[in-house]
Amino acid sequence: MKRRFTLPALTVAAVTGSMFVAVSPASAHGYISSPPSRQANCASGAVSGCGDIVYEPQSVEQPKGSTQCNGGGSRFTVLNDNSKNWPAASVGSSVTFNWVITARHRTSTWEYFIGNRLVASFNDNGAQPGATKTHTVNFSGYSGRQTVLARWNVADTVNAFYSCVDVNFGGATNPTPTTPGPTPTTPAPTTPAPTTPTPPPATTNPGSTTWAAGTAYKAGDRVTYAGRSYQCRQAHTAISGWEPPYVAALWTAV
Amino acid sequence: MRRAAGGLLLLLVLLLSGCGGDTEVAAHNDTDVMFLQMALEQIGEGEQVAAVAEKSAVNPEIRTLAAELRGQWQVESARMRDWLAAWKQPVTAPSASELHAGHGALHALQDGDIAGLRAAKGTDFDRIAVALLLGNLHNTMETLRMEATGGAYPEVKNLAQSMSTTRQGQIQRLLALAAG
Repeated sequence: MKRRFTLPALTVAAVTGSMFVAVSPASAHGYISSPPSRQANCASGAVSGCGDIVYEPQSVEQPKGSTQCNGGGSRFTVLNDNSKNWPAASVGSSVTFNWVITARHRTSTWEYFIGNRLVASFNDNGAQPGATKTHTVNFSGYSGRQTVLARWNVADTVNAFYSCVDVNFGGATNPTPTTPGPTPTTPAPTTPAPTTPTPPPATTNPGSTTWAAGTAYKAGDRVTYAGRSYQCRQAHTAISGWEPPYVAALWTAV
Repeated sequence: MRRAAGGLLLLLVLLLSGCGGDTEVAAHNDTDVMFLQMALEQIGEGEQVAAVAEKSAVNPEIRTLAAELRGQWQVESARMRDWLAAWKQPVTAPSASELHAGHGALHALQDGDIAGLRAAKGTDFDRIAVALLLGNLHNTMETLRMEATGGAYPEVKNLAQSMSTTRQGQIQRLLALAAG
């Protein structure tokens, strides 16, 4: 493992300099994961071409009162795009919504709309939500494909978090799959597709193979990487970033 | 006498070459330090959830994912601690630091969350475990992206980059589990 020496003077300068790095306001807090909201479908890879929302589905935060899927404003406008092929979950008239919460804001209400009509509202009276949040809403009278707008109204700020969920009541005429079958445009990788910056050269050392991300190694296994040989110290499944020269806890040069 | 002097010279040469062999200097900045401290904190919280999930989830995919995360966190956090130690920085972030305020929730878990998870049974357990893991990984992604844009130390940035790729893949698997 390569050691690098850091000059104290440089450190001081760097630390002092970065004290003035602008800190962006916190903007991450919650969204509906099931049935999948539009941002959940973006983050899961079920819908492609979503932009930055894939990294922060929890961040659709805007002033209260909007009826748009992105809550108004200029960020995440892709969520308002009804021409995108949003999968619609097949549901009955009673739907249970599950939220993923990354920060526990004191909450006034959780509201569920179809069109401009408020279908249900849950009043938390300023309480903090628990680790998870679940609401069951009765949509009797609705049929076919609909977009449900959910608003999480924060009690102690002017903002709300917005989530649009596309559903198909009855489900019979829904062309999209009922089970969460992501559209095949962007296959969600089940294993991280690693990008190896420098592919290790193939070697012919007997009894050892070339290190590769995704491989399960056990203690004692020998590999080569960038022309050098290493022995595995503890069992693990290799990923990009754990190349033998960088992770002394996993590999010893031999 | 000549022998002793020669030996001394040799020793000196060895010492010098030992020190001078690696003259590379890489500076780290405050974002690197903040990232490492926050990431360790978030890994610590994720570990609490994943340890319970690995043991008790009904769906084997959740158990597999939890075990995978724990293995990766172990290796990642060892590297993170090494850097902080080398830079003589504390492993724990100053709790009231304003610098941390904008980047992900440090203490996303609250008293009772783990007890609540342990008390849940069957599909309820799985639903809560997936939601807690997603919450943890979303906060981690914020921290990772902060490092990718604001960090300075190349190896730390590389780690953040590869962690982002890995975590995003795991978030996708969790979202599929949540939807299913």
